Amino acid sequence: MSLVCSSLSFQYGRDRVVDDVSFQVEKSTFCAVLGRNGSGKTTLLHCLAGILRPAPGRVELEGLDLSRASRIEIARRVSLVPQEHTDIFPFQVIDVVVMGRTPFLSPGGRPGPDDYDRAWDALTTLQAGYLGERNFNKISGGERRIALLARALLQSRDTVLLDEPTTHLDFHNTYRLLGRIKNLCKARSIRAVAAMHDPNLAFLFADQVVMLKDGRLLAEGPPEKVMTAKGVSQLYGTETRLEELPDGQRLFLPAFLQGRGKEGGESS
Amino acid sequence: MKISAKQNNNSAGLLINHFILTMVLAGLLGAVFLASLFLGRLDIGLADLGRMWSAWGSSGTAGLEGDVNWLVLTSVRLPRCLLAVLVGMGLSVSGAVYQGLFRNPLVSPDILGVSAGCTLGAALGLIMPNFQFGLVRLLAFLFGLAAVSLALWLARLIAVRSVIVLVLAGLVVTAVFNSMLMLIKYLADPYSQLPAIVFWIMGSFHRAHWRDLNVAAPVICGGLAVIHFLRYKLNVLSLGDLQARSLGLNPLAWRVMFVTVSSLIVALSVSTCGQVYWVGLVIPHIARTLVGPNHERMIPVTALIGGLFLLLADDLARSLTTSELPLSVITALSGAPIFAYLLYRNRGSGWT
Repeated sequence: MSLVCSSLSFQYGRDRVVDDVSFQVEKSTFCAVLGRNGSGKTTLLHCLAGILRPAPGRVELEGLDLSRASRIEIARRVSLVPQEHTDIFPFQVIDVVVMGRTPFLSPGGRPGPDDYDRAWDALTTLQAGYLGERNFNKISGGERRIALLARALLQSRDTVLLDEPTTHLDFHNTYRLLGRIKNLCKARSIRAVAAMHDPNLAFLFADQVVMLKDGRLLAEGPPEKVMTAKGVSQLYGTETRLEELPDGQRLFLPAFLQGRGKEGGESS
Repeated sequence: MKISAKQNNNSAGLLINHFILTMVLAGLLGAVFLASLFLGRLDIGLADLGRMWSAWGSSGTAGLEGDVNWLVLTSVRLPRCLLAVLVGMGLSVSGAVYQGLFRNPLVSPDILGVSAGCTLGAALGLIMPNFQFGLVRLLAFLFGLAAVSLALWLARLIAVRSVIVLVLAGLVVTAVFNSMLMLIKYLADPYSQLPAIVFWIMGSFHRAHWRDLNVAAPVICGGLAVIHFLRYKLNVLSLGDLQARSLGLNPLAWRVMFVTVSSLIVALSVSTCGQVYWVGLVIPHIARTLVGPNHERMIPVTALIGGLFLLLADDLARSLTTSELPLSVITALSGAPIFAYLLYRNRGSGWT
């Protein structure tokens, strides 16, 4: 029962953005994809979502070859929480959430009362039922993320892909959202693959880490194993210091901050 | 669970309100339609109706053949009012579809250049030696489609999925088609061809005939039925290509389908009654203000209000002064202030 990604490559024109990446993600796993800006994280997620067709290479989801599956077949198993959500019409949040049922509707089909019940359930699972009747354009960035996550959960009970789920979230909400995603992975045996920026958050929450550098796979495996000072330094191309906290939590800090206390800044 | 039940009740209440609103609008449309039949230069009173009824009763339609009242009612006013309702519905629903597809409440069939294309096509058809209305319609339709594809292609060429670029591309296409139209007007015979072209540009139903309805009604009704049946997909498409795809739709195929159907409706409307400004832009906004942006509820309301609006506009056009006023004068004069009011009312709700 796994998502298998074998020697996956993708290029925009001549620009090879993802190059020969292979890994696999089991069920009930929270997998974090780490890498610098422009390292191919979003492209990789879009290949996993079947939105982009990798060439060469392939993605298999529990035996289903995504390059041969129809868009609807893929959408029923894999859902995506996009990186940014541009303004749309002032839909009610519940109307946005219920769109997660789209792949289950016929061409002329519309969501019925049963679909709306499921949408309300998805929202209440995330303790966000209070958002349901509000204007999607007027809730905060964090609340939008929650609403889109509810839509993704409604859409697929198998794999949820998240593109930088914590951008625009405040300190508290960042931890709360990632905690919820992790709990959902365990409670509903969902597989989550999230592109993330902060190695500290990845170490805290992820069961598996995929490190991308310039489109290539640098390392892959459980965070305790691959997230070393050396590994992270290599990943971000900057010397990184590792602090081991008493409870086993690791803290990664750029080395140029060393000894500067609160005045730390960019060193040249 | 308690909260969820309560909120479900609320949305049920919303549904009932929406049902009542739809019924009220449909009733209003029916009433205005009947009243419009009796509005006009020739005064048809209840006594005339009674006379016609008894003539029909004694010898069928044959008994009514020479009756002026009967002729005006069935050959002039009935097709005219039907056409006004159909075109109003068609233009406003097309506008709603365009706005949903391109995720921009400013897009209307006018802005993407469909109308300009249609007008140029119609004008070309009109200056052809011994022109036929079939050819005029065909040219109007083809040029309308060409204009909108050109605008889409231009927008795609410059930037992927940028709303402002799309509007600008529409402006470019409109400008090109309008300049060609100007050339045709310049070259046209000022006594016979030029007035015919001007008639197309300002819009009017005064030449409405059953012949027009026979062509326009099946296509506009068919197009409206297709859009009505598939309208939920507009919600998903309005989220943009990336999300539509991840929700299992092929955005390009759906967009081509919706644009084709809408362009067909607009092209036929323009070729039968000329350009009618503002309907495609303002009516969807009124509907959205009334029932929200969910296309499931908003498309039927848009159609009803559109039909009602254009029927009333045509009533004004033919009864305000002794001679007919161009339709676009009425629709733009009344539509623009309504739009300004809506902008004011909906400020800050995030739809502009």
